[in-house]
Amino acid sequence: MIYEVRIGRLPMSALFSLQGASEAIGSWAESVLPAFPTMPNTVTEMDARQLLWLGAETWLLRAPIEQEETLLADLRPTEASEDISIVCVSDALVFWRIEGDEADQIIAIGSPLDVHPRVFPDTAATWTECFGQRALVQRVRGGFDLAVDRSYAPMFDDYLARITA
Amino acid sequence: MTDNSPRLPQGGRIDRSRVLRFTFNDRAYQGFEGDTLASALLANGVHLIGRSFKYHRPRGVFSAGVEEPGALVELEGDDASGNRPVTTVRLTDGLVARSVNCWPSPKFDLGAATQLVARMLPAGFYYKTFMWPDWRIFEPAIRRAAGMAGAPAKPPETGRFETRNAHTDVLVAGAGPAGLMAAYVAAKAGARVLLADDRAEPGGSLLDRRLTVNGGPAGDWAATLWADLAEMSEVTVLRDTTVWAYREHNLLILNQRNPDRPGLIERTWRVRAKQTVLATGATERMMVFPGNDRPGVMLASGVQAYLNRYAVRPGKRAVILTNNDSAYQAAADMGAAGIELAAIIDTREAVSDACREQVPGVEIWAGAHVVDTLGRQRLTGVVTSQITTPIPCDLLAVSGGWSPNVHLHSQARGTLRWDPDSVAFVPEATVQPSHSAGAANGQLTLPEALASGAAQGVAAAEAAGFTPNPPPLPAAEEAPYTVEPFWAPPKMKPGAKAFVDLQNDVTAADIALALREGYDSVEHVKRYTTGGMGLDQGKTGNVNIIGLVAHAQGRAVGDVGTTTFRSPYTPVSFGSLAGQREGSVVLPYRHTPLTDWNHAQGAFMYEAGARWRRPGYFPRDGETFQETVNREALAVREGVGVYDGSPLGTFELKGRDTDRFLDLIYTNTFSTLKDGAGRYGIMLSEDGLILDDGVSFRLGQSRWLMSTSTGHADAVHHHMERLRRYDRPDWHVQVTNVTSQWANATVCGPKARDVMQALGTDLDLSREALPFMHLAEGMVAGLLARVIRVSFTGEISFEINVRPRDLPTLWERILEAGAPFGIQPVGSEANHVLRVEKGFLSLGHEVDGTVDPFDLGMGWIVSKKKPDFIGKRAMEIRRSAGGPRWELVGLLPEDVQDSIPEGAPLTPDGAKVPSEGFVSACVFSVVHNRWVALGLLQDGRARIGHGAHVRLRDRVIGVQVVAPCFHDPDGERLRG
Amino acid sequence: MITCPFCGPRSETEFTYAGPEMGRRPADASGGSDEEWAEALTVPPNPVGPVVEHWRHGKGCGAWVTITRDTRTHEVLEPGDDG
Repeated sequence: MIYEVRIGRLPMSALFSLQGASEAIGSWAESVLPAFPTMPNTVTEMDARQLLWLGAETWLLRAPIEQEETLLADLRPTEASEDISIVCVSDALVFWRIEGDEADQIIAIGSPLDVHPRVFPDTAATWTECFGQRALVQRVRGGFDLAVDRSYAPMFDDYLARITA
Repeated sequence: MTDNSPRLPQGGRIDRSRVLRFTFNDRAYQGFEGDTLASALLANGVHLIGRSFKYHRPRGVFSAGVEEPGALVELEGDDASGNRPVTTVRLTDGLVARSVNCWPSPKFDLGAATQLVARMLPAGFYYKTFMWPDWRIFEPAIRRAAGMAGAPAKPPETGRFETRNAHTDVLVAGAGPAGLMAAYVAAKAGARVLLADDRAEPGGSLLDRRLTVNGGPAGDWAATLWADLAEMSEVTVLRDTTVWAYREHNLLILNQRNPDRPGLIERTWRVRAKQTVLATGATERMMVFPGNDRPGVMLASGVQAYLNRYAVRPGKRAVILTNNDSAYQAAADMGAAGIELAAIIDTREAVSDACREQVPGVEIWAGAHVVDTLGRQRLTGVVTSQITTPIPCDLLAVSGGWSPNVHLHSQARGTLRWDPDSVAFVPEATVQPSHSAGAANGQLTLPEALASGAAQGVAAAEAAGFTPNPPPLPAAEEAPYTVEPFWAPPKMKPGAKAFVDLQNDVTAADIALALREGYDSVEHVKRYTTGGMGLDQGKTGNVNIIGLVAHAQGRAVGDVGTTTFRSPYTPVSFGSLAGQREGSVVLPYRHTPLTDWNHAQGAFMYEAGARWRRPGYFPRDGETFQETVNREALAVREGVGVYDGSPLGTFELKGRDTDRFLDLIYTNTFSTLKDGAGRYGIMLSEDGLILDDGVSFRLGQSRWLMSTSTGHADAVHHHMERLRRYDRPDWHVQVTNVTSQWANATVCGPKARDVMQALGTDLDLSREALPFMHLAEGMVAGLLARVIRVSFTGEISFEINVRPRDLPTLWERILEAGAPFGIQPVGSEANHVLRVEKGFLSLGHEVDGTVDPFDLGMGWIVSKKKPDFIGKRAMEIRRSAGGPRWELVGLLPEDVQDSIPEGAPLTPDGAKVPSEGFVSACVFSVVHNRWVALGLLQDGRARIGHGAHVRLRDRVIGVQVVAPCFHDPDGERLRG
Repeated sequence: MITCPFCGPRSETEFTYAGPEMGRRPADASGGSDEEWAEALTVPPNPVGPVVEHWRHGKGCGAWVTITRDTRTHEVLEPGDDG
């Protein structure tokens, strides 16, 4: 490691893509979700469940994988009104946690995103580009979580090993 | 050390306790830590570095910096690289360097001895000589004799490169007095500051000169300020880092050498800056006179740098030639270092007292110039305009005035103004948010540079939203600078070699020739003569060329203007541009969850569309490629096979307008389908040509599952999002990409249903309960699954979709359950055979962006009832024009063992005339035991039953035109 | 840099170019003359100077943005106005 970082793949998260007006999603699943974030590209949290506001009418619910079945039962994606779209996407993303004093340098190598604390605060999360692909960057205590479409995960392992070797 | 040693007994910024050994042209030498290869060679008395590009004249060290035009070497071993100026190669222990452009050695150079090359290379020789067909005769000889160093044979054995991004409020280029002040002011204001300097030590020109700041050595002031900046949390300081490109939107690109990390050779920084301060200094110009290229002729600033920075005396007896005041400071330093000053030749009629006071007792010839130099491989004397007797000397320090380094300002589209007072182009207006400071802005003396740097630091910080409170300026003094133009001696002998470009061997006579031949714009002069086109990009010579053009044309220099400044400012290695993208990650790649299994089986893996790496085929011992493919294809036709279909693009669509949205984007109708039912459809672009084909299934009220071709998944997604946003913004449809949320194994072949039963499922998979083009959700092999009846092979197929986490388990169970039925994994090659036999489309083969459904014989898929769908009108307009179209047909080579290369043209009678179609695919059919092909042929459908001809380079293949389906045309098998 | 209506200023490498503004597609395919359709489909604006064009924040939040860009300088004259 030429950088002061620890990088490891995280276990799967339970992930749900939520689309539609926040009022409509809230009225369907308010008790299940953390409060809606008030700032774009930020995260709220409740009972280990995180709600990431990642697009105009797009949220990502992220929770421990153990909650996947409960959430499926509570969110009832197939029964939700036609105003909103709820799709389980737990398998679609692979996450890494990048921790350490120089975690920001790993992001800088992969991504054009500015992660200076003034621009990308404690609660920030956003879609951006990393190693040429669409990727999710979320600030966590002591570093970042980085996620990419599952199909690119081996390439990201390859890149992360190369740049820190 | 003796008094005769070029190395001064003390001083300089070298570490004499650390001796470094190096080799130049196979001879061993020693230098010190802190030396460049140039200073180390000069310290060893080596002045002849190489030969020039065109005339093979001896070349020595001309400068001490990145402007070096003449002294190029190639490095060997771990540092292997070509055409490196010796002035920018930091000396390391074990360095191996070699001259370029000379063979067998710089002292005896065959090219120069025969003058073989020179006669062939007048100005404009590229254009006069390199014309077909003759250039191919000259080219090899010219390349061998006049070429530059070769590229290294292989990449470095160890180490790697890195590219990274950075963001800053203020980027400061250059850590001389102006840059340091600007960075300090902006940093104190709280701005994020990135300060980059291309030298190993901060201080810029202060390192080369003997100036004071706040009463102490200026170099110490610079080092202290740099250290203070480095301590500040919002500041990044980078030494050995060149800002080499200034792009749009304030994107700057930096090349950092020797980053402070083990194993890292170079790093590229892509910096987004809110504001920039360009404090890149100025470069001293050469003087134009006959023999101005002889080793021993050196920029006065270069001599000063060797004396003060490296403690090297580049000569014992010097003449100074100048048109400005700065050379007097250099002369004073030379005198102080023990160099005998023979004379100062000043082209100006009047020399100020301020100048004279710096060099008491030295003979000064005002209104004079140099008419020739003597010596062969080293200068021995100078002939002046005043007296015919040469002045013996081994060093001629020249100063043609100073050019602000406006490269970055100009790359950023800033304009330039010719300033007659300083005889230089200086920044005029900026376009991007940048601020030029110090010598780069024409403020050439130290007090001016410090004040300018502070002021521009304030301006940049304020523009970036900060409130600076600048500290008082440091105390510094320097004599004022004045200069008068002197472009060339008034009379020169014909054939005199007075160079304006030392690297490309361009003389004043070449400029005159170009002008005589009508190349009267400075851009044309540059290209015709190649002046300023070398690695140094004419840093010391270009303004002289412009001055000569202006003088010859009787125009003002400002009216002639400059050539365009382009990046890179100095050469950049390919490695640093590539960064971490080498080896396995040169191109992106994607894997399905079965990659490990595929590798374990010895599958032949390759990229098969949209960056997915897939198994092409699963070879067994002793099989040929064709035998493997035939075996896999036959298994599907006669028994059962299974393939990994995970890369197919998959989207979930939801919303009250989804039904009509699908009717809009497909040519056929979907809204009438019931839950669980699906349909094959074709999407057109608005131009009426096929964008994609795929299937969509209704999952429920307003919920659909769409699958697209692998290669066009992103394009289809973009297409749908664009329609949603701009064309039907009032429609409510939400699209979720679930390509990676679902993986699938597709079991196909006559025994597929048997395997499904053996796997175990709670679904009724009978033909009646789950007909073709239907979907059911349930458990398969104990796993949550969606089973979809589609077929890409023409056989009965069950596409078992599961979560990717379950695919390896499902795959193993399929192979276990299928073993009694002889199941075989099937790769992309066999899949290709199966789809061609069936006449199914393949995006990129038959569908190449020029065809519509009618061309493919699929008019049935175009709804006649729907008032509208994307591409409808354009297709109608195109077809209403009539005229022949290229249509999809099957092709049977006359000889059953003849295969046709994919892409081969069809021409009338096989003649050498424009083609009337092409072969889109050709496979060995396991059903017919012969090669069969698909192709697009003009009026193809009307020609079924007739012959056509494939024209190859060396032969013509006769083919029979048949219907584009070789297997089960009624589709009985796939519905089974 | 392109300013995304949701994410703010981002590197242009996060965006997908989607061509110049062509006007909204007619509500049905039968409107307009053949000539108008052919013109609209085959002669997109391609000025030396400012052009109104669409980009999609494809590697970001997915938002669309319409900008006015000077083709000579890549300067974005008017930032995005749609979400």
